[in-house]
Amino acid sequence: MEELSISRPYLLQADDLTANDIQSIFSRAQFFIDNYKPGVKFDDLKGLTVALTFFENSTRTKLSFELASKRLSADSISFQSSSSSQKKGESLIDTLRTIEAMGVDMYIVRHVCSGVPGFLQANTCGAVINAGDGKHEHPTQALLDTFTLQKHFGDLKGVKVCIIGDILHSRVARSNITVLRTLGAEVKVCAPGTLFPRRLNYWNVEIIEHIDDAIEWADVALVLRLQRERMESGLLPSIREYSNYYGVNFEHFAKKPELVLLHPGPVNYGIELDYNINQYPNVKIQTQVTHGVFIRMALLSLIAKQLKVKRAKVA
Amino acid sequence: MNICFKGIRAVNPAQNLDETVNLWIKDGAIAHCDSSAPKLDPGTEQIDGKDLVAAPGFFDMHVHFRTPGEENEEDINTGCASAANGGFTGVVCMPNTTPCVDSVAVVELIENKAKGKLVDVKVAGAITKNREGKQISEMFELNDAGVPFFTDDGSCVMCTETLKRAFDYALTRDLLIAQHCEDHTLTEGFSVNESIFATKLGLKGYPSIAESNIVFRDIETAKYIGNCRYHVMHISTARSVELVREAKKNGARVTAEVAPHHFTLDDSIIASYDTNIKMNPPLRDKSDIEALKLGLKDGTIDAIASDHAPHALHEKDVEFELAPCGIVGLETALPLAMTELVHTGVLSIGQLVEKMAVNPRRICGLNVPEIKLGELANLTVFAPNEEWHISTKHFKSKSKNSPFNNFVVKGKQKYVFNNNQVINCVL
Repeated sequence: MEELSISRPYLLQADDLTANDIQSIFSRAQFFIDNYKPGVKFDDLKGLTVALTFFENSTRTKLSFELASKRLSADSISFQSSSSSQKKGESLIDTLRTIEAMGVDMYIVRHVCSGVPGFLQANTCGAVINAGDGKHEHPTQALLDTFTLQKHFGDLKGVKVCIIGDILHSRVARSNITVLRTLGAEVKVCAPGTLFPRRLNYWNVEIIEHIDDAIEWADVALVLRLQRERMESGLLPSIREYSNYYGVNFEHFAKKPELVLLHPGPVNYGIELDYNINQYPNVKIQTQVTHGVFIRMALLSLIAKQLKVKRAKVA
Repeated sequence: MNICFKGIRAVNPAQNLDETVNLWIKDGAIAHCDSSAPKLDPGTEQIDGKDLVAAPGFFDMHVHFRTPGEENEEDINTGCASAANGGFTGVVCMPNTTPCVDSVAVVELIENKAKGKLVDVKVAGAITKNREGKQISEMFELNDAGVPFFTDDGSCVMCTETLKRAFDYALTRDLLIAQHCEDHTLTEGFSVNESIFATKLGLKGYPSIAESNIVFRDIETAKYIGNCRYHVMHISTARSVELVREAKKNGARVTAEVAPHHFTLDDSIIASYDTNIKMNPPLRDKSDIEALKLGLKDGTIDAIASDHAPHALHEKDVEFELAPCGIVGLETALPLAMTELVHTGVLSIGQLVEKMAVNPRRICGLNVPEIKLGELANLTVFAPNEEWHISTKHFKSKSKNSPFNNFVVKGKQKYVFNNNQVINCVL
């Protein structure tokens, strides 16, 4: 088997990943899928300490990373704080220094503020992995999404993906647009103006105004979770109207049963998706979760390797 | 004090002066100022003025010295040291202190601390009590105590009824209302300019209309009340510049100032999430910078003011979205203005002196110092063509929150003279 590696000893945003990096991660993930058996542990992270530092509530991402690091034989510690540390009078940078002083090598970071992983990476000699920062990025979600798609299509070149929903506030959308494009997929979006102001289209991505047209065009619908607070903050007139005009429903599947559907979860059934849509063969929501663990194992494994290279150079 | 600059270029547009002279400053006054050879006292320090310019002392009408209340960020001693090191002989402190400047007691507290300094310290008064935007402050008494103008800087007077009353009241004595133009309903939770870069980084934006809509409202209101004097602080958008230009053309008594960072940096650099590029108003886009430069060139923008806003290191070393707004600016104002405006042909040196020494004083109703025999020496001497690296470690300010560390600039302040004192600028 060829030696796999990635360019950087950290992952802050999707731009950090080249197409080769992504394929290396995918290959390693496939290796873990092929070789994982209950009770088996890999030693990729043996001797390394991983800190799960979650400054924002998370269930699935945290569990996924925790399991991934355990299956790779890491020592792991975990920290979750729903309120920011600043409210308790401790600065984030101090929290980092405290954890670092305990001898931590890798940090899985989730935070409500955009840009925090980069801020921490600049202040540590360990490796930071972004597990979701504010409205900025969630690169491992994009990796597991695109891995799921690559396994389905074989190759993402020319595959048409429409991202539907709250683009403006979505870190999942940001990371996915970049990774999908890096792998050669064609990306369009479907969202009302308040959830994707047209003048703020950084990616110059084409916008499909009508959900029916979006589904007709797309091979893949990547449906985003609608946060109830968007309605409460006045960005939407009502959940009802959003659901009627941007929800993916049985009628869409009736016309296009082969549609591949991704959702980062947790799903608001009845809002962005009809309930029981799982009966369609290409609804991949559970597959995404399963792949999530293997993708994170692959990423941790390759970053640990880079970290060792970096440390050998410093030494 | 006994210094003579031989063959220095003396520039002061307020007295139509731009000529090479031998300039002798003795005991705080100008003892010689023409091309003839002065009969110097023995022991006079002589400095070759070949590469230097002497101008009336620069005046920054927009600084935050954080006193009273946040002296961990700056105090009057370090603020004045920073101003002098930046080539300024006078400043106006903003009223957003704790307590704020809505009473004569606070004005006197600040001015007492500044007694005996080289730098003349004036204090702006709040438009409204406690800067709450509700009840207008005691403007007459504050004005009698020497307050040159009124502003709620840091906040905008959002209630148009309150603003209307402030103009009505101020017009009684023809007082100047200066506005921090920000429609707060559009900017809640902002971190940066609203632009595609904000989208990429997942940060809440501050749209340009949040500034220009207020500029429009205020100009209309000032006109309606009776052509009141009105000043736009830290102007940052192309549309605001257009509105001020149009108002001036129509005879409105409107003035405007711009901060050096707004004509130097655009918002594409926010990708670094460097908290030292977080300020209010935020860095705008390249077209705004062009409009600001044009506004400076054609006189729409009257003054350059630093908006010197010190923050302690630990306050800025936090999550970008939680970091306070503002950067220190006194010690980089002249070099940035020289580099971005004079060496690029936007302004002549004479125009630069107008924006940094003459106009800010006129807006504040203060006399402009003259460079001539017998006058008290209130001077800034700078080297227009000296290239150097900015290093924040040389800053005299208590805070070092500047995005310009390691910037290469051309033009450097050298000496300031005022109140019978001289300081050698060290950077």
